[in-house]
Amino acid sequence: MRAALTRIAAVASNEFKHLRRDPRALATVLILPVLQLLLFAYAISFDVKNVPTVVLDQDNTAASREYLQTYRSSEFFDVLGSANDLAQIDQLFDQNKVRLAVIVPSGFARSLDSGEKAQVAVLTDGSEPTSAQLGQAYANALNASYDQRVAVAWADRQGLDLAQAGEIEPRLRTWYNPEQKSSDFLIPGLMVVIIMVVTVQQTAVTLVREREQGTGEQMTVSPLRRGELMVGKLLPWTLLAFADMLVIALVGLWVFGLPLRGSVGFLAASSVVFVFAALGVGLIISAVAPSLETANIVGLLIAFLPAFLLSGFAFPLDSIPTPLQWLSYAFPGRYMVAISRGVFLKGAGFSELWPQLAALTVYALVVLLASSLLYRKRSR
Amino acid sequence: MSLHRIRLIIWKEFLQLRRDPLLLRLIFIMPIVQLIFFGYVVSADVRNLATAVVDLDKSAVSRELTASFSSSGYFTIEAYPTSETELQPLMDRGEITVAVVIPEGTQARLAGGEIAPVGIVVDGSDSRTAAVSSGYAAQIVAELNADRITRQGLALQAPGIDARVRVLFNPSLRTVNTMIPGLVAAILMLSVLAIMSQAVVRERESGTLEQMFVTPITRSEYLIGKVTPYVLLALVQMSLVALVGVFWFRVPFNGTFAEVAAGLGIFMLTVIGLGLLVSLASHTRQQAQQTVLFIMLPMMLLSGFIFPIESMPPALVPVTYVMPLTWAVLLLRGAFVKGVGFGALVPELLVLTLFAVVIFGIAVIATRRRLAE
Repeated sequence: MRAALTRIAAVASNEFKHLRRDPRALATVLILPVLQLLLFAYAISFDVKNVPTVVLDQDNTAASREYLQTYRSSEFFDVLGSANDLAQIDQLFDQNKVRLAVIVPSGFARSLDSGEKAQVAVLTDGSEPTSAQLGQAYANALNASYDQRVAVAWADRQGLDLAQAGEIEPRLRTWYNPEQKSSDFLIPGLMVVIIMVVTVQQTAVTLVREREQGTGEQMTVSPLRRGELMVGKLLPWTLLAFADMLVIALVGLWVFGLPLRGSVGFLAASSVVFVFAALGVGLIISAVAPSLETANIVGLLIAFLPAFLLSGFAFPLDSIPTPLQWLSYAFPGRYMVAISRGVFLKGAGFSELWPQLAALTVYALVVLLASSLLYRKRSR
Repeated sequence: MSLHRIRLIIWKEFLQLRRDPLLLRLIFIMPIVQLIFFGYVVSADVRNLATAVVDLDKSAVSRELTASFSSSGYFTIEAYPTSETELQPLMDRGEITVAVVIPEGTQARLAGGEIAPVGIVVDGSDSRTAAVSSGYAAQIVAELNADRITRQGLALQAPGIDARVRVLFNPSLRTVNTMIPGLVAAILMLSVLAIMSQAVVRERESGTLEQMFVTPITRSEYLIGKVTPYVLLALVQMSLVALVGVFWFRVPFNGTFAEVAAGLGIFMLTVIGLGLLVSLASHTRQQAQQTVLFIMLPMMLLSGFIFPIESMPPALVPVTYVMPLTWAVLLLRGAFVKGVGFGALVPELLVLTLFAVVIFGIAVIATRRRLAE
């Protein structure tokens, strides 16, 4: 046992030396995660606010100006200016300068005065669907409430008594993340994505390279057992994965003010299980892939893409088609994102998240077992 | 320059690719898998949000409000808890993402002409859902308010606003329609970079590069022979993605073939140039692969093909213009979705050409110089 440990340590320190000689690999593992974190935390968000808007006031009366003022004072629309004609609006849409246009045709004030419905048109740019959807919703809300205000004011002037003139007012509360900061939402999931990429891709590529260069055979001549070799090879990457996780968590907590509401111990325990599951996936790839290029692409295919898209880290899983929802259970990212986000944001712990941890544990065991079977088959 | 020798190198490159049957298959499966993932996951429209309604008023109005929420198609009412305290565990377990709380006395307040607040609780741990659901909730409530006034018979005599909201270019508001044109460019970049970056390093690693130059092959012949197979592969991949997009995802194609072909062709030169540069700057294939990851991620995230450039902080917007992918996405969207015509796409085409000339040019010069050593 003692001798085995010494041999493992020797392999691990050898691997570390390789890493040190290759600063680019080290940079990939240590700097890329931070770069990703900064990009995601600063650059990326789904928050649609200040939609660039242009208005065209063909009526040009006090009433039309008052109506358009409601868009100017809404924080959703950012009224950049007025257009002179419809052709100019077309041009602004084609050049991607505006996403929404409000057109008040002439006769707006006259219609209102004579007690008719005054027509207005709102155009949104469907080539940016999120802002178009929300633009549609907010424009509808704004118009409905303006419509109501006009009617109530009119009734008042006529001396009519409205039986139920009260108004329902939505009061919005956002739980867990009251300022709706994207970074709070993304960082706990990003940790998971980065670990997936670092561990799976790097273990797969490292082991395949070893085999291609034939140093693997030299090793087997030495008293080293295969299991010891693997553990030694993987140890540095495991440690680096934990270092990454720690760095991301600390940057998240200190720089971005990410709350940590749940139990650190539970998070740490789950992370260990998760890293083992990810290592297992990397081992399977390395056992199956005949060349480095293939290992690389397979890694991209089953580590990066599912972690990025099927883990729920940025894209909600509820709205995807059912077959893909089932598929998402086949990758460990999904469970870990739920755990990480639950612990950081919701203050959840073992009692809420044990099903995820149980699933992850089973997953890790199955994957590690499968990889050792595949390796045994290969070496025969 | 001998065509025969170029053909031989191309043939050799294909043979080498064929030696790893899994790789060749992956080259074609990869874009399709990516297309399906991105097409279904990223462009899934937020609908049928799991919602709980706490109705403490139990009046005609509160029932009407509940009905408006459930018939909108955006919210699916999953639970009717009897008190607000039951909401927290439901949301903690992720069973609901939105809750509507109708306080006691809502109907009475409305009758008295007062403002009746209604609580809308959204799960902020999912920022996209939170943003979308608050927009929809505002719309539903405002429409209900206007409806109630109408029903009092006022509408017949009272003035009002008749707003027509029209969605241009993509009237069904399908996200896939704008996602897939961008994806064609992104997948092209991903797969060409992944394979191209390995091409020259591999020969350097195995020492066959020197052997090559003992033969009468010239540097230009080598370069053309080396790049051609990857250009062909990229063309096949691109056509696959575009065909699956148009026929499976039913993305409407409003532009002309010439615009798209010109734009993608120019963009492809840029990407091949990038791949060659990475290959030259790396000593091992692993290094090349890591460098590709470094280049790829920021490009994917900042090109505006998943995340709208408008919601990025103003300081970062200039950075997005330095990425060739941003321009390719703009061009493809313009051609596919807007059908804006050649005239409006001139700026994008010019910028892409500039990128291609500079990057591909540097790559060719650098490769020749490296080969001369």
